[in-house]
Amino acid sequence: ALLGVFLPLPRLRGLLQRCWGRLERGLFPGFTGGQSPPWGPALAVQAPTFLPEPISDSRENDEAPSLFDSILWMAAPKKRRTIEVNRCRRRNVNKLIKVKRNIDICPECGNLKQKHVLCGYCYAKVKAETRLIRIEIGKKEGGPFNAPTVETVVLYDGEKPTEKDEGKRIIERARKRPSWFVQN
Amino acid sequence: LRRFLAGGAWACGLLGWWRPERWLTSSSLFPLSCVHTSASLEKFGKWEKKNWIVYPPQLPGEPRRPAEIYHCRREIKYSKDKMWYLAKLIKGMSIDQALAQLEFNDKKGAKVIKEVLLEAQEMAVRNHNVEFKSNLHIAESLTGRGRYVKRIRYHAKGMFGIMKISRCHYFVKLVEGPPPPPEPPRTGFDQAKEYVQQLRSRTLVNTL
Repeated sequence: ALLGVFLPLPRLRGLLQRCWGRLERGLFPGFTGGQSPPWGPALAVQAPTFLPEPISDSRENDEAPSLFDSILWMAAPKKRRTIEVNRCRRRNVNKLIKVKRNIDICPECGNLKQKHVLCGYCYAKVKAETRLIRIEIGKKEGGPFNAPTVETVVLYDGEKPTEKDEGKRIIERARKRPSWFVQN
Repeated sequence: LRRFLAGGAWACGLLGWWRPERWLTSSSLFPLSCVHTSASLEKFGKWEKKNWIVYPPQLPGEPRRPAEIYHCRREIKYSKDKMWYLAKLIKGMSIDQALAQLEFNDKKGAKVIKEVLLEAQEMAVRNHNVEFKSNLHIAESLTGRGRYVKRIRYHAKGMFGIMKISRCHYFVKLVEGPPPPPEPPRTGFDQAKEYVQQLRSRTLVNTL
């Protein structure tokens, strides 16, 4: 029984050594000839800590031809791309900016707007007014977490709360009602 | 500090040949200084000088020469190749269409070109006797390379690269009038016709 176990061991050891060597080379391709590490940028200058190691040469000389044949070797351009070829690629029709045909004018303010998007000017206008209303609300509440459990109604100059606004919180704004803010 | 001309009215009369655009474009503190010094005024490139040409008055029978307005902006912090795409977009459009397209474009250069076009439109109405500000179209729009500066870009493990900070110029020429109709694309039939025309126009050289 013991003989049967020992015989395959030398072959296993050789196989394991070869596998380990291939794994090491797979992790650090390009270190064989003592060349610079491949992950530095082309123009970069190496720091003194990365000088080539001449010791590794004799150890891995017999492995070098197999590395050159392997597919792990880096791809590099063969020839310089001429400016004509570069222009053909950069000025191809699919790279040019397409003309937009979904631009209209907003019927409210007359500025340009995209068909599926709100008008930028009108939105900014509403946003500014909302900000002022929120400041008023902030003044009334006085601090965080004081929001009441009732609805809020915004009233402008010269407006009285109606019977519909019985239990609601009233926010006063000291200006004329804007035309786009319709009163219920 | 130079204070040659303090008043405004008689200075305008004296330097009637002096272009008022220079006063607006110059960066000097005293817009009425009449001396050209490189310290007080910027260097004018060829495109800016194209606005200063004055044609002789037209004869009664000649067709009206359309107004041409040259405007540019120098040293924009953007790449000239990326700016070229925007310049190519608005080439040959009317100014309203160009402004609409640029407003809804997401590129950084679109905002810059929009400002340049609005400035040029303003200049056209104010200084170049253009009647309707919508009656302009873009005849030429070009980009040029500005001054590049080299800087260090730090990488991992003590490595560095040298990056270049690129800037560009943008030039535009507005011409009064509606935009010209776009020329139809060249078909194979046109090319074949031209080829046959070329063959037919061959002659024999050095013979009777």
